[in-house]
Amino acid sequence: MDYIDPHLHMVSRTTDDYETLARMGCVAISEPAFWAGFDRGSVESFRDYFRQLTEFEPKRAAQYGISHYTWLCINAKEAENVSLSREVIAMIPEFLEAKNVLGIGEIGLNKNTRNEATIFLEHLDLAVKYNQQILIHTPHLEDKYQGTRMILDMLMGDSRIDRSRVLVDHVEEHTIEHVLENGFWAGMTLYPVSKCTPQRAADMIERFGPERLMANSAGDWGPSKPTAIPDLIMELKKRGHSKELIKKIVYDNPKQFFSQSKPFTHG
Amino acid sequence: MNTKLNAIETINERTAEQIVSDEFLIARAKILELAATLDRIERARGDVEDTRHMQLLTHGMQILCDDEVDKAKRVQLLMSREYDPRWKDSMSIAKKES
Repeated sequence: MDYIDPHLHMVSRTTDDYETLARMGCVAISEPAFWAGFDRGSVESFRDYFRQLTEFEPKRAAQYGISHYTWLCINAKEAENVSLSREVIAMIPEFLEAKNVLGIGEIGLNKNTRNEATIFLEHLDLAVKYNQQILIHTPHLEDKYQGTRMILDMLMGDSRIDRSRVLVDHVEEHTIEHVLENGFWAGMTLYPVSKCTPQRAADMIERFGPERLMANSAGDWGPSKPTAIPDLIMELKKRGHSKELIKKIVYDNPKQFFSQSKPFTHG
Repeated sequence: MNTKLNAIETINERTAEQIVSDEFLIARAKILELAATLDRIERARGDVEDTRHMQLLTHGMQILCDDEVDKAKRVQLLMSREYDPRWKDSMSIAKKES
């Protein structure tokens, strides 16, 4: 089955992974900007990173017939450095016309601090000013519930934000309802140990229905599985769900959401 | 905005009996892993009974055995930091005009 992975950090994966993804049915990827595993020291590091996301990765993906899209920001972890964050935010517009940029992301919170919230709000201003879609990272483990509620407070406190153009990622059992019932899109991240298993993701689909819901692998440089979406497809098939339902989650929904950004042309 | 969530009525095609049958070995293996972890802790030097992590694990296991629904969500909330709706005031974050 053809599918789209809406959140996959291919800069930290090998070219072999692109080939495996293509063999498994992956036809398009969206890659949000994220933490490199270490804090970068200058705005020039981010400029190079954004060139990698907008120039190099699309070519690498294209070799395997996969469309590559991306999102730009300074991530929540590095947002603790407010002055660097502001330099990066000021530089991002240089890349917004690149042909694979879908919007601003993954912005969000990490440890739910004042600095992170300040930079999150400044990213929202940037997205509104340039009419960009938004992809949001919610914190991990014990910080997730508090951080997700804080993020929703900031989004809902800004009347300029079009909720149908915002994807809130890494939802789990205790946060999904808050995201969906307030009109946002939700992403479930299939990730070993932290975040969500394919089985729990299938439970959430059964519980909350398939509207405005998608799944991703968030494959990155840590322990993760870039082919986690085929695992979810398999789980849903095993449970007897229809091909239409599965396709809606893994293909139709990401396509519908991304199609709100002009550069998205897939299918 | 309060968007009604529509889970498809027929979305869970399996009966409770089927689920137990399909998932018995998986659940059994997870219980054994947990049991072995507790044995490992018991055999080790030191006393962790009053530590926050051990208390969370104990409370989490109680949720698994009680008669209430929404166990996954309740375990998640148990393991979560509290949300304070007045966080913007305490962090001095300016509210947007909306």
